[in-house]
Amino acid sequence: MHHVDEQEMLALVGHRFPGGTRTIEHWENWLLTDCTGAGQPPEDLVHPVALFHVPIQGAGTSIAELFALGQVEGVAAVGLDSYDWEYFQPLRENIEYRFDGGVIEVERCHSDTGQVYDRFVFSIELSDSTGAPVARITNHWRLRR
Amino acid sequence: MTIDVGTSIPPWEMPSVDPQRMKTMAAILRDPYPIHWDSSVGQALGLGDRVVNQGPLNLSYIVNMLIAWQGPTCVRRLQVGFGAPVLDHDAVTAVGEVTGIETVDGEQRATCAVRLERNGVAVVTGTAVVALRTE
Repeated sequence: MHHVDEQEMLALVGHRFPGGTRTIEHWENWLLTDCTGAGQPPEDLVHPVALFHVPIQGAGTSIAELFALGQVEGVAAVGLDSYDWEYFQPLRENIEYRFDGGVIEVERCHSDTGQVYDRFVFSIELSDSTGAPVARITNHWRLRR
Repeated sequence: MTIDVGTSIPPWEMPSVDPQRMKTMAAILRDPYPIHWDSSVGQALGLGDRVVNQGPLNLSYIVNMLIAWQGPTCVRRLQVGFGAPVLDHDAVTAVGEVTGIETVDGEQRATCAVRLERNGVAVVTGTAVVALRTE
């Protein structure tokens, strides 16, 4: 079992990611869509499941950095609890989007079997060049201790 | 076809989850978690020589069902929870049904209960809000 101080984790609430801009290129969308088993979308539309990695990378962080922030150690130490993804506009290739977000909740919890974990929640908003909202994600991860 | 509360969404099937696609997905996501691409890690976890499908890929099968039903720009919101892991070569099916209809900003939207099932047991469950095609 990996001990992580609860107060250190709770102090992550309010942590902001660097933020930034990012585009989704055609090759990336093509490969992503292919991974899902779907046919390629028409025109320049992006597969909606891009809302997992694109906001993380666009906000200037990464899965590895999020694991480090959450002091994750060992295989199977991270579980997905839930996603809440809102789409205000369709995502399109080669559009520069703005990304801003951070950690919004952390809670030390115990599973039904008594295992300690931290519920780690982060949220990122996407907007276009006019500032209009494009999408918002809120991801709940389970960091097992 | 009229869509109303209780309407079933045509299912979308992934007959065999492909571990090669997990490797490509890991590269796209820049995901360092080896359970998705290194089968020796699966052995350490008691999964045999199998690897674990990424959560976003599991969700993507539900999205594919919605897009096949109402078009590529139909998804307005996805709220899903993840249960048991999906492993390579599993057969999974996305299913769903309409639980509500409302008009938002002049757009008719369906709220749908959605699931990803393996052998009839849900491994992802949640709610999707979908803009309905205009006739």
